[in-house]
Amino acid sequence: MTVALEAALAAVVGADHVRPIPGQPALAVTPGSPTELADVVRLTADAGAAIVPVGAGFRAARVRGLGERRRVHLSSERLDQVVQLDETSMLCHAQAGLTGAALEKILAPRGLSLGDYPPGILGSSLGGLIGVRTPGKSSARHGFFEEAVAGVSAVLADGRTIHTRVAPRRSTGPDLARALCGSEGTIGYITAAVLRLHRRPEARLLAAYVLPSVDAAIAAAFLALREECAPAGLRIVDATEARLHFPEAGLADGQALVVAATAGPTDLAACDRDLIASAVAAEGGAVADLGLAERWWRRRLGTEPTPEPGPTFQASAGPGQLTAAYHAVRRAVPAARLHVSRFDLDGAVLFATLVDASGDPLVGDALTATVARAEAAATAAGAWLLGARPTALDPYLKALRAELDPRGVMNPGALTEG
Amino acid sequence: MVADADRVRRELEGIVGPRRVSVRPGDLDTYARDMWPRLLLARRAGVAPTMLPTAVVWPETVREVAAIVRMARNLGVPIIPYGGGSGVCGGVVPRFGGITIDTKRMAALRGIRTSDQVVDVEAGLSGERFERELTRRGYTFGNFPSSIYCSTVGGWLATRAAGQLSTKYGKVEDRVAGLTLVTGTGEVVDTDGPRRAIGGPDWTQLVLGSEGTLGIITSARLRLSPAPQLKLFRGFEVPNVAAGVEALRRVLQRGLKPAVVRLYDELDTFVNSFGDHHYDPDAAAWGHTHAPVPLPGEGALPPLPPPPRPTDDDGPLERLLGMVRKTRRGLRGDAFTAVLDRPRLVNRVVGTVAEKIARKGCKLIIGLEGARLRTEVEAALTFAELERAGARDLGEEPGRAWLARRYAVSYKMSPVFRDGAFVDTMEVATSWATLLDLYHSVRAALGKHAVVMAHFSHAYPEGCSIYFTFAAHAPDQAASERLYDQLWKDGLEAATRVGATISHHHGVGMLRAPYMAGEHREAMAILTALKRSFDPDDIMNPGKLGLAARRWEAR
Repeated sequence: MTVALEAALAAVVGADHVRPIPGQPALAVTPGSPTELADVVRLTADAGAAIVPVGAGFRAARVRGLGERRRVHLSSERLDQVVQLDETSMLCHAQAGLTGAALEKILAPRGLSLGDYPPGILGSSLGGLIGVRTPGKSSARHGFFEEAVAGVSAVLADGRTIHTRVAPRRSTGPDLARALCGSEGTIGYITAAVLRLHRRPEARLLAAYVLPSVDAAIAAAFLALREECAPAGLRIVDATEARLHFPEAGLADGQALVVAATAGPTDLAACDRDLIASAVAAEGGAVADLGLAERWWRRRLGTEPTPEPGPTFQASAGPGQLTAAYHAVRRAVPAARLHVSRFDLDGAVLFATLVDASGDPLVGDALTATVARAEAAATAAGAWLLGARPTALDPYLKALRAELDPRGVMNPGALTEG
Repeated sequence: MVADADRVRRELEGIVGPRRVSVRPGDLDTYARDMWPRLLLARRAGVAPTMLPTAVVWPETVREVAAIVRMARNLGVPIIPYGGGSGVCGGVVPRFGGITIDTKRMAALRGIRTSDQVVDVEAGLSGERFERELTRRGYTFGNFPSSIYCSTVGGWLATRAAGQLSTKYGKVEDRVAGLTLVTGTGEVVDTDGPRRAIGGPDWTQLVLGSEGTLGIITSARLRLSPAPQLKLFRGFEVPNVAAGVEALRRVLQRGLKPAVVRLYDELDTFVNSFGDHHYDPDAAAWGHTHAPVPLPGEGALPPLPPPPRPTDDDGPLERLLGMVRKTRRGLRGDAFTAVLDRPRLVNRVVGTVAEKIARKGCKLIIGLEGARLRTEVEAALTFAELERAGARDLGEEPGRAWLARRYAVSYKMSPVFRDGAFVDTMEVATSWATLLDLYHSVRAALGKHAVVMAHFSHAYPEGCSIYFTFAAHAPDQAASERLYDQLWKDGLEAATRVGATISHHHGVGMLRAPYMAGEHREAMAILTALKRSFDPDDIMNPGKLGLAARRWEAR
């Protein structure tokens, strides 16, 4: 790494916030303001180096295909301020380095919340939540996380800062904020976002049911959703997983446990709970011990430990493919523990914890081989894998990037083929 | 002028055959415009359009569309997509000539996938036929613009349209699972990754609203809802606009989703005279009644009402003018134009009159529909919340009256265009915190030149749109156009100043193109880059959306 770039960046952000990464032609840089960040981008581009965005924590960033190209691992972690909280409009303008969880802590005393997204995703920075699309970032009540984005601020490759204008909806051309959502830092580096908030629910009601089969459970879930039920959480646990996670349920082979949470004004939460109960009854299910649902909710919030580390495989499927995808994965990896959650009218996500014959989680090559088997089965059944994306428009993405970033500065290794 | 017309015609005939191409003057004249009121001014004055397409073509398949675009690219000829022609911003005006592609022969409803609750539909299908077809099968798309009888699905998608029930069902962009489009390179692409797919930007959202500048949408996969099992409509009264806005905000932020919310300001309330316009059995004769279940085969759509008689004095604007006439005896003679010549006076007078006569305050129409159980619960919560916020329940009557007449309004417009008078609508939107600021700023800006009234509709937890209706008059066409342009300039700049968006659902076209830079500022760089990547030769609807059209302007 040239000393010149390091010195130039240090002059912008302060020497404490530039640090060479040992063994790599890379600098870790943490600017303290959006202006500094824009300067860092400009200097990096002028030096012919690349920007690799880094969110909360210092995960292995995606540097595929960069070879020996010099790069700046640009972290937003010091951009962690709430810029404005508009409680009248329930909009929050926050910097991208703030994590979802930290923002929730600020919102909670005011009776506000980001909404009932899976708590597990909120450890990420807002920039990461918005910049990377994954199937789990959704809620039946609020939709995809990016639908909470009313506006973004970002730095483009040439150092220009853009702010998309905030309005509830608009008809003034394409939604330009969506060019940045999911773009993994290739279109611009997200520095702040305006997010839609929700009131903390007046009531939250939990319920648990046992159904004769996973098929019946899936059918019941979509039956309720089509009656406009909007649960705050809904999970189908198959017998294999239930035996470890909910042994007290005493599920027989083939049966499924359904745990559900509904939230909102009390009458509406009760209405949604009743819709699920009716759908379950229609599919031949029965009410189970409420304690099962309470345990699920505590684990979801992280106040009670889960019996094993998180799932090692996930695939999403539409309502029409979900049952087939479940059975395909079930057959391909018979020992795996499976559950289905993140339900909305577009489908749900199938999670699998891949284990060996004795029930211990797989690691290393054995895991890789088993994941491959599960992936092949899920794909054949019409499901989509985590990280998969339609590639038909890649040439247009490439052209778009070339227009905005002719020198290939912005996360050049991301969203490319091969 | 672009490549010679004869060559274009021959090439088109080579693709679609001779019967689906036209260069007849009558056709070119028809396809030179949409329902942009500024173009109606010229039309009323008998002025022929100056921007005409070179040819009009009616392709029937996406393959034909792709071939046409490739041919146009080779010849260096613009392409202008055309749906129902119901736009109100001049989005289909062939500014630099070129081939107008009418999509209406691509109108198949290809099929409903019941397991996923989506429908595959071609872009040229008319909104009315689309919704009727869905109703027959027990579904609704939920988009009911007042143009539904004369707009197409593709037009909705190209402009990010909204319908009267958008507060529940969303604007069209909230209902799209995927698109097929022919890009400016003549390639056919699907943005139809499942929504849950993952990685990369959401192309569907980058194509929606592009108004034909990136490509031409030929079909779409759209989300459906089950046809509503229950509809509950109610009228309320609030003391003033501010109280009404606050009541709506409370409903939406409690997580409730009424299908319809319409808060009329004092003048709009008075002009629409909900109080004394009782539910008319004759209106029911043209099909629609308030009904707990949809009428068999009708759903939310009444049959098309008969065209208005030119003397019909029943429209809100006619009533507005009639009211002013009655209260200002001094305005004799041609009261219609005399009134419009003195907008400040009228706005003031109307304010006083409205205050006096409409002491009752502002009307609020609220309607819920959907699945039986949830709709019942949401309605009870909604009505209770409104009453807690100080709204007075007027019962079902005003709701029924609105339902019965909700498509009639649009057809009242053109008779107003006479003697240099015109009327137009401006829909802007912003967050709740700045909504009243937006209302007063735009109303003041327009009120300098025009008689203006407004209603608030299309509400969201974070904000709401305002729909201004304004009428004005100038002595001749040139003066009318100047006044028209000044009104839009003042109104949109006022909206931009308070941080609002300049369009909630009508789109940009030519009308708002000059204000796009103010709307998006530096973010225009992204729009420009999108344009270059989808349409490198700038043949797709050039000169729209505020995008530069240097290639054509140089000619």
